[in-house]
Amino acid sequence: MMSLASYLIISLILFVVGLMVMISRKNIVAILLGIELILNAAALNFVAYSRYVTNNLDGHIFSLFIIVIAAAEAAVGLAIVIRFFQIKETIHVDEATQLRN
Amino acid sequence: MEYTVGSIAPIFLSPVIAFVINAFFGRKLPRQGDWLATLSIFVSFIFSARIFGDFVFGQFATDYYIHKVFTWFDLSYGTQIYKIDMGIYIDNMAAIMLVMVSGVATLIHLFSTWYMDHDEKHGRFFVFLPLFTSAMLGLVLSDNLFSLFIFWEIMGFCSYSLIGIYNKKEKAGDASLKAFMTTRVGDVFLLLGIVALWTTLGSVNYVDIYAAIAEGKFLGQTVLGISFATFTALCIFLGAMGKSAQFPLQVWLPDAMMGPTPGSALIHAATMVTAGVWVSLRMYPLMVLGDITWFIAVIGAITAFGAATIAVVQTDIKAVLAYSTLSQLGYMIMGVGVGSYNAAFMHVITHAMFKACLFLSAGSIIHSVHEQEMPKLGGLRKFLPYTHFAMMCCTLAIAGIPFFSGFVSKDRILGDALYYGFMAGQNPLLAIVPILGFAGAGLTAFYMFRMMFMTFYGENRTHHDDHGHGHGHHDAKGHEAHGHDIHHEHLDVRQNVPLLILSVFTLGFWFCGTLTGQSFGKVFGAKTEWFKVLVEAPRVERFVNHPRQEFSKVDTKEAAHLEHAHYHHQTGYAGPNPDEHKLHSAHTIGAIASIIIAFAGVFLAFLMYIKGSVKPWASKFPGLTKVLQNKYYFDDFYIEVLIKKGLLGLNRGLAWFDMGIYDRFAVDGWAAVNRVLFKSAKWFDNVVVDAIGVDGTGVAVNLFNLVLRIVQSGKIQFYFIMLIMVLASYIWTVNI
Repeated sequence: MMSLASYLIISLILFVVGLMVMISRKNIVAILLGIELILNAAALNFVAYSRYVTNNLDGHIFSLFIIVIAAAEAAVGLAIVIRFFQIKETIHVDEATQLRN
Repeated sequence: MEYTVGSIAPIFLSPVIAFVINAFFGRKLPRQGDWLATLSIFVSFIFSARIFGDFVFGQFATDYYIHKVFTWFDLSYGTQIYKIDMGIYIDNMAAIMLVMVSGVATLIHLFSTWYMDHDEKHGRFFVFLPLFTSAMLGLVLSDNLFSLFIFWEIMGFCSYSLIGIYNKKEKAGDASLKAFMTTRVGDVFLLLGIVALWTTLGSVNYVDIYAAIAEGKFLGQTVLGISFATFTALCIFLGAMGKSAQFPLQVWLPDAMMGPTPGSALIHAATMVTAGVWVSLRMYPLMVLGDITWFIAVIGAITAFGAATIAVVQTDIKAVLAYSTLSQLGYMIMGVGVGSYNAAFMHVITHAMFKACLFLSAGSIIHSVHEQEMPKLGGLRKFLPYTHFAMMCCTLAIAGIPFFSGFVSKDRILGDALYYGFMAGQNPLLAIVPILGFAGAGLTAFYMFRMMFMTFYGENRTHHDDHGHGHGHHDAKGHEAHGHDIHHEHLDVRQNVPLLILSVFTLGFWFCGTLTGQSFGKVFGAKTEWFKVLVEAPRVERFVNHPRQEFSKVDTKEAAHLEHAHYHHQTGYAGPNPDEHKLHSAHTIGAIASIIIAFAGVFLAFLMYIKGSVKPWASKFPGLTKVLQNKYYFDDFYIEVLIKKGLLGLNRGLAWFDMGIYDRFAVDGWAAVNRVLFKSAKWFDNVVVDAIGVDGTGVAVNLFNLVLRIVQSGKIQFYFIMLIMVLASYIWTVNI
């Protein structure tokens, strides 16, 4: 029998991995991947709590929203990355300095 | 007859219109608009004559008056009333005065068109002449002291302009300034009196003042320790003294002859100087209430006598006339003072007629001969027959010869003065009033005939000197040169007709209705003594609760019974006089005495200047002659003592105050205060606003910036770390 804790542990692992990816990688696509991982960790948390604690569909609906938002976010983010690449010919995050100064 | 504003206003407005047109377009008009000025005054005369004929010859109540008012401005608050009404007030006296002023002014204008012909100041003269006349007409029409004061000041300005019209002559400029400044002394007091009346009564309407006197509103009020009535009466009389050139303020009038002679005629006869007598007559109840009639009588007597003595030694023909004006004004004022209201006003009218004629005659002489020093004239009656005739009539009138107007009016004043001085139970010192009056009458006869004899009789002296102008110098109208330097006079409409018309009115019966001025020899029958019937001191009781008539109201005069006015010789009010027989005997004695005195004066002049059997006394009394020639040193006294010692010192003191105190401490001190304020303001601005406020904001922002710059590195992963740390710390805090 899977307990709530195991879901939370998986979710935690996903979150931490995503965070580490976000922080340590300089590739924008990788950062977007990290964000996806964090969002998924959060969605997993919602579903797990919904299943084990509140026992209704709120968490499910929330996770659906998260998935939709993640998809939209990925679309927008990738579009920005493509434009960024067209201008700078790189997707290194430290090259994004136009707003500086 | 009906009286609307439209039938009264043209009296005043038509000369004003002529003034405006002449002032702005006079140069473009033919003859510089002198015909327009003359015509405008004639229009005034027509309208005045209508009122005059109705008031004087209609069978109407003696106390009928037209009074129309509108409120000019109203400063009332609470229960106090402070308002200025403007309006028209015409009673019998005003009707007579209007026709006199406009009639005499018409003739003077007509004469001026001849006199000022080809003069460089022709146009300018005919700008001020109608304004002057209109101001006098407005003064006579006005129903309150305030509008009277306005016209009074317009006349002051006009006399200033007319006296100084030859502005390239320094003496003319000085004389005009002198006239203006001397009358100003009186005007200040007049204004003070008006303001005092206004603040106490709330109105300066004649009608309201009369009503206030009747209601006793003056009683119990004091100003500066003297009774309010005395104070205001004295102030108003001092104003009248300035305008009518009475004793201490007489210095300006003789100098006023610096202007053209017709201008002098207007000033001396019809307009300026009679204004003072006019206001004294209008405010007569106030003078009586204020108990200053004795003062008025004494001032008048001093002026009448003093001016006559000066006139005796003058050699300039206009100066003699100027001093005779002063003297006659003294009689008028004396008449006001001794309570002969009616005769004083009659003297205003008769004097205006003969003095205008005298001045115009003098103008005729001066214009024909170009000489006004009498020792250089003489024998002119052959050359100037019409002028001679007119001037002789007027001289007879002013000298007080029976059958002439001056006898009628002056004799009545003198008779009343005699009664006032000796029989009315007054202070015995007041006997000086009739004594000076009779002495002045004798001197008047003497000096006027001296002038006549020196000018028109004897040998012609004009050719002896080189001073006279060249042969045919002023031959404008094609007069033939005759004799020496003089053109023989032909009858000229503009030169002689005004003189002849005026000389007709030097006859006495026009004014009193009898040939002699006494009760026998009636000419007009039932209309006899119309003057005495119609002119009386205002009976103040009538004015209590008078209805206020709107300006647009049409007055309709209704026939009423003609009643005789009686005089109370102390108050001037109607009523039986207990001293009737005494008064009658005073008048009889006065008449006989003045006839004797007048003939004595004429005879003495005859002996001295025609027969030559009596040497002129100038050589016998050199000291006195010198005093008189210097006009009792009044001019010197005013200039040397009052102005140089008093006024200049005061001015210097004021200048010191102005420069030393006011300028140094107030102005400069204020500058110093401002400088300190400015410095502190500058410090505040620099330090507080600029350094702390403006720069401080910048510095603070800069400091924040230093911190924020570390945080806002632009490294996105650093932001993530920060974000996570903040979230973590948040959770951490919440959990604890």
